[in-house]
Amino acid sequence: MSAQGDCDFLVKRARELVTEDPWAAKAWLITARTLYPTDFSIQYEMYIIERNAERTSSAGRLLYDIFINFPDQPVVWREITVITAALRNDSQDKHALFLKGVFETLPGQVQCQMLLKATEQCFNTLEKAEMLLLLLKRFPESVVQHGVSLGESLLEAENVEDLDTPVNCFRKLFVCDVLPLIINNMEMRLPASLLHKYMHKAAEFYIGYVTRGPGADTQIQPSPEVTGLKSPGMGRGQRYVIDGLSEKSSVVTEPWERLLEIVGVVGARCEWQGEKGSRTYTELLQRVKELCRYLPGLEGETLSRCCSQIVTCSTLVLFRSAHHYISTVQPSLFQGHNALGVTPWVLLEDLSSVFNDVEMDRSSGKHAHKKRKLADGREKPMSSDDEDALGKGRGRHILVNKVEMPGWAETLEHFRTARESWDLLHSHDALESEFNKICMAWKTESWLWFRIFLTDMIIYQGHYRKALSSLVQLSALQPQQNQNSLSATSNLETHRALIQQASCHYALGEHRLACEKVLEVVSGLVPQNQEPVKPSEEQGRVRNKPRKGNDLRLIPCTSKDVLPFCLQLMLACFKLRAFSDSGRDDLALGHVIVLLQHDWPQGEALFLKAVDRICEQGSFQYENFFNYVTNIDMLEEFAYLRTTEGGRVQLELLPNQGMLIKNPSPALGVELNTLLLPGAQKADRHHTVTRGITKGVKEDFRLAMERQVSRCGENLLNVLHRFCINEKIILIQSLP
Amino acid sequence: MSDIRHALLRRDPLSAAKEVLYHLDISLGSALQNAPGATPGLDKNTVDLVEEFIFQVPKDRSVQRKRMSCVQELQLLEIMCSYFQEQSKDAIRQVIFSALFGLQGNKADESRMAMLGKLVSMAVAVCRVSILECAATWLQRSHSAWCVRLARVLVDDYCTLVPCSISNLQNICSASPRFCCQLITAVTALYDLSSDELTPPPALLEMVVGWITEDPRLLLLTFINMPLTSSLPIGCLEVTPLMGLLRWCVKAPLAHQRGRKQSLTNGHVETEKVPGCEELYSKLHLSVLQVFLMLQVHLTEQNLLGRLGVLQAESVATLVEELGRSVDELNPLHAANQIQLALDRLAQALQVAMATGALLCTREDLRTLCSRLPHNNLLQLVMSGPVVQPPPHSAPFQPSLYPYIHPARPSPLSPHATHQAALSSPHAAHPALSPLPTHPALSPHCPLPPHTAHSPLTPHAFHPAAMAFPYRPIR
Repeated sequence: MSAQGDCDFLVKRARELVTEDPWAAKAWLITARTLYPTDFSIQYEMYIIERNAERTSSAGRLLYDIFINFPDQPVVWREITVITAALRNDSQDKHALFLKGVFETLPGQVQCQMLLKATEQCFNTLEKAEMLLLLLKRFPESVVQHGVSLGESLLEAENVEDLDTPVNCFRKLFVCDVLPLIINNMEMRLPASLLHKYMHKAAEFYIGYVTRGPGADTQIQPSPEVTGLKSPGMGRGQRYVIDGLSEKSSVVTEPWERLLEIVGVVGARCEWQGEKGSRTYTELLQRVKELCRYLPGLEGETLSRCCSQIVTCSTLVLFRSAHHYISTVQPSLFQGHNALGVTPWVLLEDLSSVFNDVEMDRSSGKHAHKKRKLADGREKPMSSDDEDALGKGRGRHILVNKVEMPGWAETLEHFRTARESWDLLHSHDALESEFNKICMAWKTESWLWFRIFLTDMIIYQGHYRKALSSLVQLSALQPQQNQNSLSATSNLETHRALIQQASCHYALGEHRLACEKVLEVVSGLVPQNQEPVKPSEEQGRVRNKPRKGNDLRLIPCTSKDVLPFCLQLMLACFKLRAFSDSGRDDLALGHVIVLLQHDWPQGEALFLKAVDRICEQGSFQYENFFNYVTNIDMLEEFAYLRTTEGGRVQLELLPNQGMLIKNPSPALGVELNTLLLPGAQKADRHHTVTRGITKGVKEDFRLAMERQVSRCGENLLNVLHRFCINEKIILIQSLP
Repeated sequence: MSDIRHALLRRDPLSAAKEVLYHLDISLGSALQNAPGATPGLDKNTVDLVEEFIFQVPKDRSVQRKRMSCVQELQLLEIMCSYFQEQSKDAIRQVIFSALFGLQGNKADESRMAMLGKLVSMAVAVCRVSILECAATWLQRSHSAWCVRLARVLVDDYCTLVPCSISNLQNICSASPRFCCQLITAVTALYDLSSDELTPPPALLEMVVGWITEDPRLLLLTFINMPLTSSLPIGCLEVTPLMGLLRWCVKAPLAHQRGRKQSLTNGHVETEKVPGCEELYSKLHLSVLQVFLMLQVHLTEQNLLGRLGVLQAESVATLVEELGRSVDELNPLHAANQIQLALDRLAQALQVAMATGALLCTREDLRTLCSRLPHNNLLQLVMSGPVVQPPPHSAPFQPSLYPYIHPARPSPLSPHATHQAALSSPHAAHPALSPLPTHPALSPHCPLPPHTAHSPLTPHAFHPAAMAFPYRPIR
């Protein structure tokens, strides 16, 4: 009988018994082991029995024995691979937990050896890294030996694979798992340059993670309601998986906080000035702001060290605040925000002063107009910055409906902080070049969300020419799919840039361009069925600070809010022309009267001014009057103007008679037809032939007035929307 | 002295007994205090007083004394219980207990035993640990015949008379493991499976197996706490219950078979033998093997491996003989499986016992010993020993005193070596397996390590000794 034969016999008996009498099976194996203590199959069988019965401690003990005594058995390696795989993945199933438990019973040194050997067997970089990571986490002393090389191998893998985003599995592992081990290990002396490099890698990852776009599946399964404003970047609601990682390990909690921790540790290790372990980003910025004051007196290495501290901190604050701002203003850009549930906002000139007297406008805007004329005279301005005097950044107010944007204060604060950081980064050449290097490395040029922020910042600064070119860049970054989307919201989002362009053109005094853009926007809007009750008005009235005329306003990108803005902007454009001292422009005055109906009686004063002007002129011609004016106060005033008491003003408010008979509907009166075919076929108007049907202008006017009074209940926004669409060409043409 | 006796004679029996107890406490207590370490001897007079007034053995035919009533006897037992509970000095307790119940080889011994049985049974019922500890020592020192009688009292009281009261007995395992260890030895001496009457009742078996699977170290408790130098009194119980339990395991399959045969011949098919019994014996057998493995660790640590046999070769020979006889009694054709199971268990136990140093004998001896037994593959393998082969890995084969034992090899890969080096913390041996007292003779009743503090073992672990991760090679 050979030894092998004996062992086979013994193991076979144990196997036969194991199901019906496991105790006997073990007794056989214990006996067998005392006979052949160096036989692998016996001890392996013992282990298998314990493993299958999931008895953690005895399985661990036996695994230990076979690992020590039979290190070369392939079966042992297979088993270790299974166990280490269970350690790596986050599965909570019973068997995986058992295997983890078995591993935990092993003495540290054996765990260490096992992991190292298992690592050697791995050929896949990611798996190998995960395995090594298990080792490093358990045995901090091994970080000194393996930490940096593991980190470098991950960064190298990322390069080799040529991944287009920093949010990839290698970087995730590096930033979230390896880096904290490296930087928190005080045994290691690492050069500051390496720490900076790592910190920037971490920042790039976290920023990329927080600002990652919504995945493909997020459009399909929107969570039902996202209400209110939540702090961004929490990655809730939707699933997000980093390629190569499991769903669970793709989750990064509190990315900004993690980043702050890393900055704190690196700062302390690089002996940053005044670094006491930063608690908040605000503190971070505050500290470098102070540091900045000493910058001019520094030179050499101190200067460069200071620079990198300032640039790193300000850059992070900039991106964080900008991200917070944009996640309110354009939430659909980011993963974790529901595209359908949250409306975007757009930063525009505040036009609530549009109903003010023209004289007031003139006095406050005089300087700007002069400037504009100057610019116009030079055809095209060479530098887009020559309207510097306009907003001039400081002290501009941003008005926002506090009911509709609950986190308004925070949002505006983030906007302010981001601008402040940006200014800081551009306050010194050394800082700027350092910052530009980071931007280049991170390809921030391609970050749509950041471009949106920059645009808003430029608008805030009053560099409207620059803002316009930024808006052009922005549209280049906008993904195409948005254009194809049919939903009204995304339609408005695409129009967001147009509205801002209009606002910029207006601010530059380019009224015709402004109107063009605005009318383009209006054509995409759907007017509200009911004239909405506007809490915003209340808000506006409560505010009793004197308007400087250069405030900004954040409004929601909805038809409800955008249409009023468009109307205001047009009113603002035509107002100046209508009340121009240089000459009479009845068409502009007519447009102004039509537009003044909106928000009535806000524009009462201005309307009365227009009436005064008409009285002065003694006559007024505006053929669209009865098409678009339905305001009873206005109608009354005009009826009065014709009377002797009113001054017998010559009013030509009816369109050419010919037009009336062009498409008559017998059932309806002539006037009604006029009203129902508003502004139709303007081109035909000049060719109409009078057939003597008209019985007299006076009679027509009376009838038209009567009809008009009956239209008072009509939805004004519909009327004005129709006005914008139907009279588009005329409106644009009537501006220089 | 006779003054005392006369005085006592005038009192009622209960107060006289109390007086004697008091007298004992005073005289032995002071003797112990004057000469600590020495066991004070009892003078003849004191023994007489104890026998006459506590055990009610008449000394003087002329004096017709009133005997204690049953109620008074119960009161006396209660008084003893409280006395032992309240006496804080362990040494005094032991001396008094021994003075009371130490057998004298006279006619009073029967009374002693009767009283002892009642006292211990009461102590079990109300969990008087101090009495149980004294009883454990008593079981160690008394002749096995008396021990068996005490065991029978307890089995009768707790397993037979009031079967549901067995939980009382079961629970004392955590209170006085030493007593339980001795009790197991005693019941294995009582029930040798030679007949149906001497087959352990299932409830008893279940309890014993429960105790052992809960913590197999229980079986080694007496052995480990016994001073090396102390010689056992002649005829006392074995130092561990291992041999007795082994007998149970090996003979059980055949006893069952015999039981079945008998019930068949009686004409009624009666298979109402507790079905769990076979499983219990299987568990028990595994535990016995595991305890051998633990024993090896202890023997190695004490440098006793190969020098101290725990299983006596003569006892093994007896078992083999008994087994042979049982086999002869059965028709091998009908009981082939049971015979093979018994032989498998015997072979396993012999092999593991030899390999762990629990049994000191050579394979040659074994072959002689087992020559009469029917053929069994494993037994054959054990008798001939493993085929000697060069070990597959680096560890060199180290011949030792007993070449068939595979001692711990401190190879470079051995966890023993690596661990002790790696873990700077002292490699604490399990308390139960802790080294013997340095001066064992000085403290024959060295206090037990608190048994309950041990982490309970996973039942049926292969390596019961390795719980606290003292990774030691066990082979």
